[in-house]
Amino acid sequence: MSNNISMETPLMHAYGNFSHHEYSAGGEIAFGELLFDLVVKEMPLCSHLNIRGDAGDDAFCAGILQVLGIALPTQPGHYHTSRTHSLYWLGPDDWLLVSRADSIDLQAQLRAALSGHLSIVDVAGGQTIINLRGSAVALNTLLKKSSLYDFGGWGTAVEGGGRCVQTTFAKASAVVANRPDGSYELVVRRTFADYIARWLLDAGSEFGCRIEGELGA
Amino acid sequence: MLLIHCPHCREDREEEEFSYNGEAHIVRPLDPESLSDEAWGDYLFFRKNPRGVHREMWYHAVGCRRYFYAARNTLSYEILHTYCVGEKPQIDAANEGAGA
Amino acid sequence: MTQIQQINRLAGGARVDSDGVINFTYNGRPMQGVSGDTLASALLANGVDVVGRSFKYGRARGIVGHGAEEPNAIMQIGSGASSVPNLKATQVELYEGLESAPVNGWPSVDFDLMSIAGFFSRLMPPGFYYKTFMYPAKLWMTYEHFIRRAAGLGRSPVGDDPDSYDKLNQHADVLVIGAGPAGLMAAREAARAGARVMIVDEQSEFGGSLLASTQTIENRSASAWVDLMVAELKTFANLQMLPRSTAFGYYDHNFIGILERRSDHLSLSAATGSRQRLHRVRAKRVVLATGAFERPLVFAHNDIPGVMQASSVSTYVNRYGVAPGSRMVLFTCNDSAYQTALDWHGAGRTVVAIVDSRAEPNGAMLAAVEALGMEVMLGCAVIEAQGGKRVKRALVAPINAQGTEVVGSVQRIACDLIACSGGWSPAIHLSSHTGAKPQWDEAIVGFKPGTSTQQECSAGACAGTYRLSECFAEGAQAGAQAAHKSGFGSGVGLFPQPPVEEHDEYPQQALFLVPHTQRSTRAPSQFVDMQLDVTAGSIEIAVREGFESIEHIKRYTALGFGTDQGKLGNINGMAILAKALGQSMAETGTTIFRPAYTPTTFGAIAGRDIGELFDPQRHTAMHRWHLARGAEFEDVGQWKRPWYYPRSRASGGVESLREAVDRECLAVRNSVGILDASTLGKIDIQGPDTAEFITRMYTNSYLKLAPGKCRYGVMLKEDGMIFDDGVCACLGDNHYLMYTTTGGAAGVLAWLELWQQTEWPDMQVYFTSVTDHWSTATISGPNARRVLAKVCDDIDLDRQAFGFMDWRDGTVAGVAARVFRISFTGELSYEINVPAHYGRHLWEALIAAGEAFDITPYGTESMHVLRAEKGFIIVGQDTDGSMTPADMNMDWVVAKNKTFSFIGKRSLQRSDALRDQRKQFVGLKPLNPNDVLPEGAQVVFDPQQPIPMSMQGHVTSSYYSANLGHAFALAVIKGGINRMGQVVHCPLADGRILAAEIVSSVFYDPEGARQHVE
Repeated sequence: MSNNISMETPLMHAYGNFSHHEYSAGGEIAFGELLFDLVVKEMPLCSHLNIRGDAGDDAFCAGILQVLGIALPTQPGHYHTSRTHSLYWLGPDDWLLVSRADSIDLQAQLRAALSGHLSIVDVAGGQTIINLRGSAVALNTLLKKSSLYDFGGWGTAVEGGGRCVQTTFAKASAVVANRPDGSYELVVRRTFADYIARWLLDAGSEFGCRIEGELGA
Repeated sequence: MLLIHCPHCREDREEEEFSYNGEAHIVRPLDPESLSDEAWGDYLFFRKNPRGVHREMWYHAVGCRRYFYAARNTLSYEILHTYCVGEKPQIDAANEGAGA
Repeated sequence: MTQIQQINRLAGGARVDSDGVINFTYNGRPMQGVSGDTLASALLANGVDVVGRSFKYGRARGIVGHGAEEPNAIMQIGSGASSVPNLKATQVELYEGLESAPVNGWPSVDFDLMSIAGFFSRLMPPGFYYKTFMYPAKLWMTYEHFIRRAAGLGRSPVGDDPDSYDKLNQHADVLVIGAGPAGLMAAREAARAGARVMIVDEQSEFGGSLLASTQTIENRSASAWVDLMVAELKTFANLQMLPRSTAFGYYDHNFIGILERRSDHLSLSAATGSRQRLHRVRAKRVVLATGAFERPLVFAHNDIPGVMQASSVSTYVNRYGVAPGSRMVLFTCNDSAYQTALDWHGAGRTVVAIVDSRAEPNGAMLAAVEALGMEVMLGCAVIEAQGGKRVKRALVAPINAQGTEVVGSVQRIACDLIACSGGWSPAIHLSSHTGAKPQWDEAIVGFKPGTSTQQECSAGACAGTYRLSECFAEGAQAGAQAAHKSGFGSGVGLFPQPPVEEHDEYPQQALFLVPHTQRSTRAPSQFVDMQLDVTAGSIEIAVREGFESIEHIKRYTALGFGTDQGKLGNINGMAILAKALGQSMAETGTTIFRPAYTPTTFGAIAGRDIGELFDPQRHTAMHRWHLARGAEFEDVGQWKRPWYYPRSRASGGVESLREAVDRECLAVRNSVGILDASTLGKIDIQGPDTAEFITRMYTNSYLKLAPGKCRYGVMLKEDGMIFDDGVCACLGDNHYLMYTTTGGAAGVLAWLELWQQTEWPDMQVYFTSVTDHWSTATISGPNARRVLAKVCDDIDLDRQAFGFMDWRDGTVAGVAARVFRISFTGELSYEINVPAHYGRHLWEALIAAGEAFDITPYGTESMHVLRAEKGFIIVGQDTDGSMTPADMNMDWVVAKNKTFSFIGKRSLQRSDALRDQRKQFVGLKPLNPNDVLPEGAQVVFDPQQPIPMSMQGHVTSSYYSANLGHAFALAVIKGGINRMGQVVHCPLADGRILAAEIVSSVFYDPEGARQHVE
């Protein structure tokens, strides 16, 4: 039965809505005649778990490290990452785990390794990740148009971790993180994804901006 | 447009990320039923409106989702400091004076 | 060629390219300027004297300044939808094809009816608004129309603005505002120290006053030195330079609004990208280096075209290569203006006389002009200018040492230009925005910036420092200090001071009002504020009429109210007031400058937050299906929710709202409907204290709610008033899922967090929003179970096994789902939740499964009708923040014996909550079954009573019900529950009065049998 089930990622609607022609119509630079300086790409269908717990509890931290192989980020505004998992600091007792691992397995492993007062909630259906890549000037301008946060102090992400922030993004909100390759990732809420996609394409139009991904099913 | 230091994120962040939650340090009576209507009304409705330092509660709504406290000068809008729930303020009321 | 030649163009302006000819039009006449010109310099080059008519008196006015201070040359630029009113010609860069016309002057600038009729001056004494137009108030619109038309304050473009605007949020360690001598030095030092620096200037190029200076710096001309300096600044990667950018407002915590004009200086065809960009800058430190404005001298008829600021004359000569006249009289009370005589002489024009109000000035400047053989008249003043559309002569007379009286005979001197300098006023506007109180300084005869609570400092002329070498030093120091205080460098400047050629100046005289042979109130008008025609005499009259405060005088006379905000006139006006009151300047003080420094377009303030980006549209996972099905949408907060699904009529056309809703409602009651309920707020709650916590938040108890069960609850604010409602399910030990209203999701989460974090931090409970994670399809109607059975085989759907208010985990349409048996329609209903990636799949599977039962999608309107038939409330529609559970006839939801005094409980016992005649929730049955009462209609008991009637309540929800066969409504009415059967009346604005009977709020299936169908 499962092979008949179509999944729809939050940006799938946007793929259908923003054909190149439609978007270039009001733009400043004719489509097709430029190298796109900005690319918006969804990283769909990852496992997303919201984890709450006590960072001061050594057993909790040890359990996270044991299951994920990365340490719980306790420094505000930082994330830790491995090939499989990324763990973002959202608040002093609040983290977002994004993973390529199976969500059900991951939840079971975490619950087995952790005890005490904590919360693990599957939020995968409610959000998605958008990768923004392009020239540094284009990315910086795009972020300055979109967010009030000062990304200027971040420096470069390294393998193993970088900076992240939950902040305003246009008139919605997002978790923004830097990546070692110079790109940025946005974690956005599903129901705002369409708006965010429209915003990004509009804000990026001065650099030439396109959305990358398959068209909607 | 205030710039507010979130004591949890340990960064100065823009006012748009926060929502204001009124006067801080109002403790809910432990036994509401024992209070007169007047005393309960005081708890419900009566708030300080100082000219000078005001202790108030802010919520980092588009951020870490923590409530915290701020000592803000209502004349200059200067925020003297912010601190977490349960923390002792760095400045005691006596040192804050009435205004300026 | 009918083109006017550039009769006043000189060879060799420092910043223009005389070969780069630019064609433009003024008032429809073709003209030429050169590359580097402003519209003002080009108009002067073309010999245009009159550029507008004055606001009250319709007097001819010419260009007096060269920057933001210009009060007269206010232009409409462009045409059609891109047309922009109220730009200062002195700030408009010339471009090929520019179209310009003055905004002031009706019916034309050169022939002005009002001036000839002359009646307006009698019509508009000081305080004319208050005196003349106060009564009758209903005529205000007429007056205003006439005044605006007469004054010609520009024309708003019609049609949508075709231009694009955007915004950038910027952050800087050091923001330098103004790129004159002090600003350039500040930026260089701060950048060298390693700080992130921004430097902005409103002019098209950096340099400020140096662009028009004839001084020598580091053995170069000032103009060449600026070029070198700008090139050096460009080498700093940590320095952002923004020309054509006006800092228009200085807000709290060092937040500065800056408007960058990106394509205003380009012709339409050359412009790409956004026309203007708003930079919202948060700076750790700000260096204000905004310079100073030269002060005009107030003498009789000082507004005739050809009376100009001395520094502006120098700027036009030196920078633009334009000499606006041929025979100049220079009138000054200070040394700095002598440079204008030297510049004018250097341009090969005649200096007829230098009139200096000081009896015995002495110094290098005096020696320099005397060496050139110029006539200097000491201890004298220009007491009146004469001429019509251009100055013809100056009346000069000796005055006393105090500058208050004419003490000798009047001499007439023929000339066509009177260049004036009354000293300088620091541009303290941005400093004032911070709340800093300006301080009067006798030494500089001007207001200096006061002490501010912001992290800023002023340097150079805006701080009252006028010597170039001192401006350099002060700027460098300010830049180094600002960098240091934001964490960079030692605070000591690293660059050597550029050597400057300069000489000492003899002290100026404070001369704010030039005496005339007649008193001010009798003398020909001595203009203080040219844009709004405020005269010295009108200020004195205002004082005689009893006004004492500068803020009141400002409003009474309109001093400084124009688009130039009194940049030229204010100080003289205040001094005239101070004198009339017998006060010092310090005692009189100044009016407060407020943002914006110069007018700012709404387009820039809106930025890209327009059209479809104005507000986020939130979509559910089923949205594309709704679109494809032709749904009409309703805005619910930011959500787009299907409102109804119109079908084609058999008879042709498309169903109306009423037709669609009737059909959808009947389908739910008779077979099965399906609703997208994904927008409901959902909060996952975990932790050992969860049951206790939510029992404190709801009016009822959750302590004994077992896994697999759910319960409807109402939340109150601490004042006892309903603020949200919804179902809460026990998912397992210490694990609950709370539903909130669609609009209440964020507010409820913040409310829960508030109590947990601040009041009961020891309670172990975590909240996580899962609103977006779940998609929810509700199937409702007697066939709902049969539909669900077709796509779900691992849940026992037996009505006993899966009872009302139960939930089950299972597989629906192949997807792991959570199914709730709850109902908002009164019918058998299942709310099926799946992760949102599967939302559309679930929806389409249910539609397919329901085909045999003609499953009918229904929208929010039908949902509202169906729930209202059952008397179910919608928080925020039937309640308004003043309704208790008892008011809503919902006492059943309030647990009386909970041990903890839940939020709001005590308030339910307040005398006000218990009083009689509170508004209570009831049903209304219109006597005419087709009268759908308007929602919000007021309810009265006696429709015959005189107006104002005694209002007894209002209609909260009202619909036509196809199931009931009549219209019905829900309402809150004083004492309504004890008024069953009484007839009330709703008087409407159109005069009709609709009558209705008070009935129970439950219109349909009061026994609740229908959700238990087999």
